[in-house]
Amino acid sequence: MTVGSQLKQTLASLRGARGTMRAYANQARDEEARNAYGEGVEELNAVIGDLEERLKALETAEPQYRGL
Amino acid sequence: MPEWVEILLRSLALFLLAFLLVRALGKKHPAKMSPFTFVVYSAIAVTAALTALKVIENFIFGLVSLAVWALTPLALDYLAARSKMVHDLLHGKETVLIKQGKIMEENLKQARLTAEELLRDLRAKDVFNAADVEFAVLETTGDVNVLLKSDKKPITPHQMEWKVLPQTEPQTVIMDGNIINEGLTNMGLNQGWLAVELEKAGVALENVFVGQVDSQGELYLDLFDDAVQLPQPKVRELLYAGLEKAQADLVNFAAQVEGEEAKNMYAGNAGKLEQLLARLRPYLLR
Repeated sequence: MTVGSQLKQTLASLRGARGTMRAYANQARDEEARNAYGEGVEELNAVIGDLEERLKALETAEPQYRGL
Repeated sequence: MPEWVEILLRSLALFLLAFLLVRALGKKHPAKMSPFTFVVYSAIAVTAALTALKVIENFIFGLVSLAVWALTPLALDYLAARSKMVHDLLHGKETVLIKQGKIMEENLKQARLTAEELLRDLRAKDVFNAADVEFAVLETTGDVNVLLKSDKKPITPHQMEWKVLPQTEPQTVIMDGNIINEGLTNMGLNQGWLAVELEKAGVALENVFVGQVDSQGELYLDLFDDAVQLPQPKVRELLYAGLEKAQADLVNFAAQVEGEEAKNMYAGNAGKLEQLLARLRPYLLR
């Protein structure tokens, strides 16, 4: 497996986690828990953003892996 | 009027009256009554029965006696709520049986409790070793309540300095195949949400015996058919595991990648995820 596809996998699982966490941020009844999940979503946004950029850089450097 | 009709009418009237009086006297459970309350209830019961059966011939006499037995305790309760002295006079005072880990033999004798009975009451509280008790008190209801020595108490998350998820009471949303709307609205959910969750679980509403939503908003279902295996909600554990996996991946990438900048980016984000995991641990795992 290439670095690019590994990175894509990790990105996908992070995006999934972000989705679940966003749902929790809305449905948790406790204020503190809601805030913790909300902050988690923010943090994941930053991580996902960084990784997406890295993926883009990889794909421009090695166009043969694009879309895999 | 034949005598049996008279007894029938008296009985009905007194049944209703006794019912109302006992309700007015409060909600105390018979097993938790102080001796005084027991006397009051017994007197009301006996007077009502005797009047109903014409042992007390004059119906009015019976009513007067009943009124006294019911209204005096009400008045005394009112006073007791305002004055500690009246309260102690009525219901007695609790007796300290064990203080600073030492059994108070004098108080035991005063309460007419034998060592055997004290040990039995301690065992009823799951205390088999008298040495574990710091403080024990005999309540006026006859119960013995125990404070364990601080090193014998069960550990609480607070002592371990663990953060735990605050849990509110779960709401029952399905009972016997019927939707309980009150539970849904209490959780801020609606029937549409429930329909989606049931579809996700692949279950028809009629097949659900009990459905409860916990404070995390997860639905627990118990079906009529116990042979059907339903996956219990494990989403939180899975979320935690998924994040942990992603964090490990990032550490891995950081080790493999060439180039300082990319390495720093991976390592930095791995660190962020690690902190996030530590912060979410109480919510996702405990």
